[in-house]
Amino acid sequence: MLSYADRLRAMRETKIRHTFEKKKQNGYTDLDDFGTVPVTAEYDVEPWYNSSNGSFYGYDGMSENFCRVIDAHEPYVDPMEMLCGRWRDMLINYRGDIHFMPDWLKEKKKNTEFLESITDQWAKSWDEQRFPYDELKPLQEKYNIQTGIDSDAHFACDYKIGFELGFGGFLDKIEKYRKINPDKAAFYDAEEKVVRAIIRFVDRHIDEIKRLIPGETRPEIKANLEDMLATCEAVRLGAPKTFKEACQWTAFFNCASRIYTRDGAGFQLDGLLLPYYENDVKNGILDDETAKFLIANLLLIDPHYYQISGVDENDCDMISHLSYLILDAADSINIACNLTVRVHENCDREFLKKAVYYLLKNKNGWPRFCNDKALAEGYMRTGADKKTARERIAVGCNWMAIPGKEFPMNDVVKINIAKVLDESLKDMKNEENKSTERLFRIYNEHLRKAVEVTAAGINLHLDHQWEVTPELVMNLMMHNTLERGEDISQCAELYTVGVDGAGLAVVADSFGALETRVENEKILNWEQVYKALDNNFENERVRLILNSAPKYCQGGTVSDEWAKKLTDSWVSAIRAQEMPAGRQLIPGWFSWARTIEYGSKVGATPNGRRAGEPISHGANPNPHFRGDGAPTAQSNGIASVQCGWGNTAPLQIEFDPCVTIENGGVEIIEKFILAHFAQGGTLININVLDGDTLARANENPELYPDLVVRVTGFTAYFATLSPQFRQLVVDRFLHGV
Amino acid sequence: MTGLIADIQRASLHDGNGIRTTVFFKGCPLSCKWCHNPECIGTAPEELFYPDKCIGCGMCKDGCYSGARVICGQEMTAEDVLSEVKLDITYYTGGGGVTFSGGEPLMQQEFLREAIDLCKKAGIGCAVETSLLYFDEDIFKTLDFVMADLKIWNSGLHREYVGVSNEIIKENFKRLNTLGIPIIARTPVISEIDQGIPEISAFLKTLDNVIKYELLPYHPLGISKAQALGRDMTRFTTPRKETMEELNKYAFIR
Repeated sequence: MLSYADRLRAMRETKIRHTFEKKKQNGYTDLDDFGTVPVTAEYDVEPWYNSSNGSFYGYDGMSENFCRVIDAHEPYVDPMEMLCGRWRDMLINYRGDIHFMPDWLKEKKKNTEFLESITDQWAKSWDEQRFPYDELKPLQEKYNIQTGIDSDAHFACDYKIGFELGFGGFLDKIEKYRKINPDKAAFYDAEEKVVRAIIRFVDRHIDEIKRLIPGETRPEIKANLEDMLATCEAVRLGAPKTFKEACQWTAFFNCASRIYTRDGAGFQLDGLLLPYYENDVKNGILDDETAKFLIANLLLIDPHYYQISGVDENDCDMISHLSYLILDAADSINIACNLTVRVHENCDREFLKKAVYYLLKNKNGWPRFCNDKALAEGYMRTGADKKTARERIAVGCNWMAIPGKEFPMNDVVKINIAKVLDESLKDMKNEENKSTERLFRIYNEHLRKAVEVTAAGINLHLDHQWEVTPELVMNLMMHNTLERGEDISQCAELYTVGVDGAGLAVVADSFGALETRVENEKILNWEQVYKALDNNFENERVRLILNSAPKYCQGGTVSDEWAKKLTDSWVSAIRAQEMPAGRQLIPGWFSWARTIEYGSKVGATPNGRRAGEPISHGANPNPHFRGDGAPTAQSNGIASVQCGWGNTAPLQIEFDPCVTIENGGVEIIEKFILAHFAQGGTLININVLDGDTLARANENPELYPDLVVRVTGFTAYFATLSPQFRQLVVDRFLHGV
Repeated sequence: MTGLIADIQRASLHDGNGIRTTVFFKGCPLSCKWCHNPECIGTAPEELFYPDKCIGCGMCKDGCYSGARVICGQEMTAEDVLSEVKLDITYYTGGGGVTFSGGEPLMQQEFLREAIDLCKKAGIGCAVETSLLYFDEDIFKTLDFVMADLKIWNSGLHREYVGVSNEIIKENFKRLNTLGIPIIARTPVISEIDQGIPEISAFLKTLDNVIKYELLPYHPLGISKAQALGRDMTRFTTPRKETMEELNKYAFIR
């Protein structure tokens, strides 16, 4: 008889096999694993294009094509599992978004033709015929801005709504409000179409389970399939009533939401599931081993971002027995989990220790840790009350959102401040009286313009997203949407829109190097610096003079001071930007995984960085920031550049492989986390890697199929990263940045 | 007063309890043939030269920025040391702090005393890693713990490989034990030498305040630094994992 442990082993092996099949199909993807399974040979989608530019938009375009993509999805039922469902492909792939497009899809003839017609990476995901923004493009390009125009999904559903209604309840709600808002027929038609497609997706799983049951000879697996069938039939239309049904319902919804816009925002896992857990245990239909298996299964199906632990509005710790079970469950499956532990003053220290223990035991980059105090107090500065601020949970790569209520566009709007510096240097070049003070003034003026054009892009997006990419799946679990017949981009309660700066260390070290070597020590003059920048450091000595200047995160250096000044200027520029309709901008520091792409747009910089080289990662320091690479120094530096409005400047850190459970590593990392948070840090992503393993894996990634690294805010299978990106991870590990 | 400091390393996680900052003093009375910090032996500032990093600019006299020529040894006041140590004060809770190491910190006894006083006043826990060739009761009494090596049991062999005999060191271990200060004792494992590890372990077990006896495998990291100093250094064999596992029966924690 197969035990849960046997089945988990088999599930993990299947996952590893899928990872390699996906790598063959998709090529290298410097992205989240997303939990997809490989497409089958028969898989094919014939998109319906409703725009003369060869793409599709709006309620009808998105709902029709969602149906085509999800209907093409074959069911995924693994008899080893207790839950079923997986996703393979997403709707936005058919709008030419090559950033996410897998190789197998690029190779299809019709897509080849489609891609050939695209002149810009994002050109056909936004309907530029109807909503052009040509007037914004010159400055967006000048400052290398990730505009957020036609971003999608970067907010969080309120799963309570779904748990209360179920898919059948969604249909009832649509019908109810369709009558109240007869002028919103197109919206309700699209929503109904989407829900019915999800129900068909469930139905195909029911059919597949029925097909498998007769041929299953292992009694315990046959019983499992029969149970799975009953669960799927219960959640086909009904609201989930048990722990298992809640997990299965979540799995189906998450698959649908991923297929629509790869949405990965989860929920407070140990909060929403707790009543189901307690009720089932009380009724004698659930034991802890089964609960753990179900959670592991849910995490395997999709690495959504879930928060666990935390504190309620009355400062009471929310950690429960289920919180512990979730950690145990994640350990039992040990894949790329995106679990965030919310740390606060009253946090059960045993729980924190256990979370750190699993981080050290598995060395797979999970969980990560966020700081309730800094996040909640920061967000309250926007005018939110304490309860609302506490509801703003970790549900994304680096970001937080209030489920159901907020439309933050977090992680999709970024300004490359290294490019802003680049432009500032060009402006100052022909001026007679050069100084860092003058450069900083020019920089601030460029930054103001960059923020202004960024805001214009955000407003364009918010004004028209509903006509281009309405959030038809996530709308189902947002407040006001079905009630008003409006897309969430139109009717969110809160528009606290995140804008991240990228390249902090490059800019801070550049100012620091200029102040040190040109102004204070007078080793170089401005002419020499400009000559070196223009010829991309043909004179290596000049480059080294600049590059060896005191750096950000060394501790108490001129560049540390510049990083703080740049943060103040960043926060001021973002907060000063006026926004219409109750919208406001929230500053953060984060580059996501785009350091290579951003760097390719920036010329040589005065910190000794050559033209085109990657910019610094998030709020992290530059390579070789200290000889000892001290994590404490990095932690202090990053704590000092927090923006303070509820968004993050994450600390992304690698620990020495000698930090082990046996060597007191749990206590060390626990202290480290608490110290970073005591200084105001917001989010910590930790890799505890084995250096030798990482080096060997870099040479032969195929030999390490299950090695997971935390790339930025997300974890990814090392073997699926491109060679260039793998090298960045290795360098970061070796040089502590 | 100033002291000659070779380096200050933050977030030292393997030198005693908790998260620590290690201050490396310059100058050491020993000359262990396997020394992993040979740049800390001399009592004056000296230059390390790494030819691989040299870009051949020919401008050495105007300063080297490539990392090819590095000066080891910086005069610092106790206040300078404190300000660097204080950078990580948030991390020292529950057992962390500063470790004065080297080199031999007690070779700069008065400066060490001043640095410890300042750190203690700032609420920072202090430890010293010493050869135990010197003894300063007043200093030792102020410490959270002392780290000391007993490298070879046989005095003649000790003199041959370490440059001094070990009688004073053994004696100072006993004296230190009477002060009630926790002692962490260590032996670097050198496969080529019969170090008498069983005897060392038995001796240390007679001392109540030795809370931990660790065996550390030899590593050749000192060789490149010795070469950079223009000195020859013997390369020993890195002990096999099995050897360390076998010897670890002599290690203990109390």
